[in-house]
Amino acid sequence: MYSLAVGSVTTAMKGRDVLRKNGIDSNIQRYSGEKQIGCGYSILIKNDAERCIGILRTAGIKVLDVSVR
Amino acid sequence: MIYLDNSATTYPKPDCVIKSVKKSMKYFGANPGRSGYDMAVKTAEAIYSTRNSLKEFFNAKSIDNIIFTQNCTAAINMCIKGLAKKGGNFVCSSLEHNAVIRPLEKLKNDGVCDYKTAIVDVNNDEKTVTNFDTLIDEKTVAVVISAASNVFGFILPIKRISDLCKKRSVPLIVDAAQAAGIIPLDVKNLGIDYLCVAAHKGLYAPLGLGVLVINSDKIPDTIIEGGTGSNSLSPVQPDYLPDRFESGTMNTSSIIALNESLKEIRKIGLGAIYSHEYTLMKTLEDSLREMKNIRLYTSFCDSQRLVPVLSFNICDVPSELTALDLSRDDICVRAGYHCSYQAHKSFGTLETGTVRISPSLYTKKRDIYFTINCIYKLQNK
Repeated sequence: MYSLAVGSVTTAMKGRDVLRKNGIDSNIQRYSGEKQIGCGYSILIKNDAERCIGILRTAGIKVLDVSVR
Repeated sequence: MIYLDNSATTYPKPDCVIKSVKKSMKYFGANPGRSGYDMAVKTAEAIYSTRNSLKEFFNAKSIDNIIFTQNCTAAINMCIKGLAKKGGNFVCSSLEHNAVIRPLEKLKNDGVCDYKTAIVDVNNDEKTVTNFDTLIDEKTVAVVISAASNVFGFILPIKRISDLCKKRSVPLIVDAAQAAGIIPLDVKNLGIDYLCVAAHKGLYAPLGLGVLVINSDKIPDTIIEGGTGSNSLSPVQPDYLPDRFESGTMNTSSIIALNESLKEIRKIGLGAIYSHEYTLMKTLEDSLREMKNIRLYTSFCDSQRLVPVLSFNICDVPSELTALDLSRDDICVRAGYHCSYQAHKSFGTLETGTVRISPSLYTKKRDIYFTINCIYKLQNK
């Protein structure tokens, strides 16, 4: 499971919707990683982290941290 | 009670709105965007869902461009003060509400920005647009217009003014307090850069909620900063939308209820709502026109030019007295100046103010007939 951290809950939900449109399921959780991003949320995906980050980037969504859980 | 003060706020609210507020209090009681436990995320999902509905409703470019505000006035202040530049000027119309005039006057008195007023010719859009064109100069920061006058219902030529603004590279701020939920407001097609909306009027949500739709890459400066639940380690306000403009706790239950009222509006259809309200006002106008002591200011002959709002007076009787008389028959209307000095000045009604009648989708024909009878008796006194 990969955790892609983003800055806010709206961004996380928007990211989830973008991934869904690309056929990728994800979940949203409060960010609990080690990086001090300051109150973010995580988009949890099962695999294809690089592809997901690329899709999110194309949609203007900045991933602040990537971690494996 | 016959409620005909829907331009102030719509009443009654749809059942789905009332049920939604109750449900929100019970099941969406957490502060959205602040925490990760189940109810907090569910509440945030509900807020997000309303954002999505608003994005579709106004054809906004992204869900991020939907900003929840305290009310329409707050949204207007955010745009005007956030775009203001020292030495610049704004151009507004002669039908503006104090929600526009007072922030502009404040900036003027503080020596920040001047403002100029373009006369709206209600019979000639060409002249109106020319009046704006004449006043826009190289120092113009933005043009600010009402989509429709809250007193006389006149719809401004939004698209033509936005075309002018594009030509002159000036952003357009639209105060849609009286128009949202009544006429279609597609920000992309109409070329509106900043659309300010009252959720509790034509959109039938609870009071105390506004929406700002940003359809421009030019993001205003903030006038309120604070906690957004994001980027908390930084003392600086986030630069991304919508967080940049959503400091502090939101009016969660109203936002969630707005989603329900939007579904209801879409189900009925804007065209059907407009047609229903227009027919009622046309019926009222036709009857009032036959009464010898009634003074009318607009005509519903051309449905494209008016939102369903009708102002009148009984000769020179102060409008407040007429409204008081009508209230004795349990008819709720608004009199006076409707926070719109400019509009009353334009229509020559500064002496008396006007009595304003504004229906909603729930107003019945019999409500209007009863009101007509009461006005008939009053003007014969």
